[in-house]
Amino acid sequence: MEIFGNLIVVFVSIAVVNNLVLTKFLGICPYIGVSRKVDMAFGMGCAVTFVITISGAATWLINNEVLERLGMGYLKYIAFIMVIASMVQLVEMYVRKFFPSLYESFGIFLPLITTNCAILGTCLFIDLWGYGFLEALVASFGGGLGFTLVICMMGGIRENLEWADVPKAMRGAGITLITAGILTLAFMGFSGMIKG
Amino acid sequence: MTDMLGVADALSIVKAGGVLLGVGLVFVVILNIANAKLKVEVDPTVEAILNILPGANCGGCGLAGCGAYAEAVAKDHGLMGKCGPGGEATVREIAAILGIEAAASAPVRAIVHCAAKDSDKINSARYFGIETCGEAQMVAGAIGCPYGCLGFGDCRKACEFDAIDIVEGLTTINYHNCVGCGACVKACPRQLIELLPFSEDPMLVISCSSLDKAKEVRSYCKVGCVGCGVCAKKAPTTFQMQQNLAVIDYANYGSMSERAAAVEKCPRAMMVYVGKEAVKAVPAAAEEATDYNRNG
Repeated sequence: MEIFGNLIVVFVSIAVVNNLVLTKFLGICPYIGVSRKVDMAFGMGCAVTFVITISGAATWLINNEVLERLGMGYLKYIAFIMVIASMVQLVEMYVRKFFPSLYESFGIFLPLITTNCAILGTCLFIDLWGYGFLEALVASFGGGLGFTLVICMMGGIRENLEWADVPKAMRGAGITLITAGILTLAFMGFSGMIKG
Repeated sequence: MTDMLGVADALSIVKAGGVLLGVGLVFVVILNIANAKLKVEVDPTVEAILNILPGANCGGCGLAGCGAYAEAVAKDHGLMGKCGPGGEATVREIAAILGIEAAASAPVRAIVHCAAKDSDKINSARYFGIETCGEAQMVAGAIGCPYGCLGFGDCRKACEFDAIDIVEGLTTINYHNCVGCGACVKACPRQLIELLPFSEDPMLVISCSSLDKAKEVRSYCKVGCVGCGVCAKKAPTTFQMQQNLAVIDYANYGSMSERAAAVEKCPRAMMVYVGKEAVKAVPAAAEEATDYNRNG
């Protein structure tokens, strides 16, 4: 039961309290770039969640079972990047096969998940925080869900902003960045809920 | 001591390389299996069309690139003539792939709505600023005419096909090289260049964009349209007057003989036949000889 409780804490911590986008400022690029529509944002969130979960688990295994045992922890950046790139390729094939319209609407942003720092960041945080395998799995999944949550919120806000009478000088990128800032402030309300 | 370190370093380098190679190989296997399982069948006609397209990715068709155009044209056959660089040969090949007869389509080419060379422009000031049209356009009076060609060659820089020369301060299209991609149309800050379907070669073009009245036009240009309207009188179906400027209605282009009277009577030298077979037979009638310009 204690393990279970611990996992919940890990999950909530990375999904909400230490949200990757709004408190660690990772993955800002798709957060701004693909959040124009909620359904696109949700698709992006799902793709990132998928990649992040598999990458988190795979990198944990490679890091702890291979690299650390051979005393080659210094290789983990390169190895992690390799894992992430391969996983993105896998997701791209999958999405192209089963969701062609989603594939079209992602365009360049799908292969760009490779360079989504939220994913590499999560993998490195898991190592930094010294998580076990189960925790790593839950943390990476939670990180992905947190990303999805935030990008969908952003998408929803931006969809409604289409109808707002924004001052001319702030239209486009300006109001988007201000929205992101206010959202960040709102998420600061969660800080301190979980220690560490 | 140093030797031992060297050996240890070499060993760890080999070890590190081996580990990364091993990890990489695992993913190679996984991705290869996935590629075999998740292979997407691409429409063979799309691929065939893509192969015969020029691959310039110029965007002249209005789509993102040759790949997007191949997909679009496979679905919508009406888009067949849109590929400028490919021209008619490509249309025929696409038609052959799609198994339909291609209607004869006119190749689209760029035309310039200005005929004033340096010697024809009457400037009240000299421009010494940055030598691009975009910058010169920001300066009022960079050249006398507020409509005409600035001659700094933004269009030439935009052209991927080496089809534009600046001849004596005037953009001149080389129709042997022009493919009608429209890059120059976007580059010109004065919107002087237009894409026109060349239903025959050469085509008659009104090489002037000035909407001013005769007096102003005379004050800054020796060739520009003064809006006299004589062409619209001589060949009313082909020529129309719009805001002191003669305009050709290419839907009612008519035959060369029908246009001849209008071209001959034009008091200015801005009716030009352009194209691969461009003829020099443009009567640049002496300005003083006629008095039509008061009518406009």
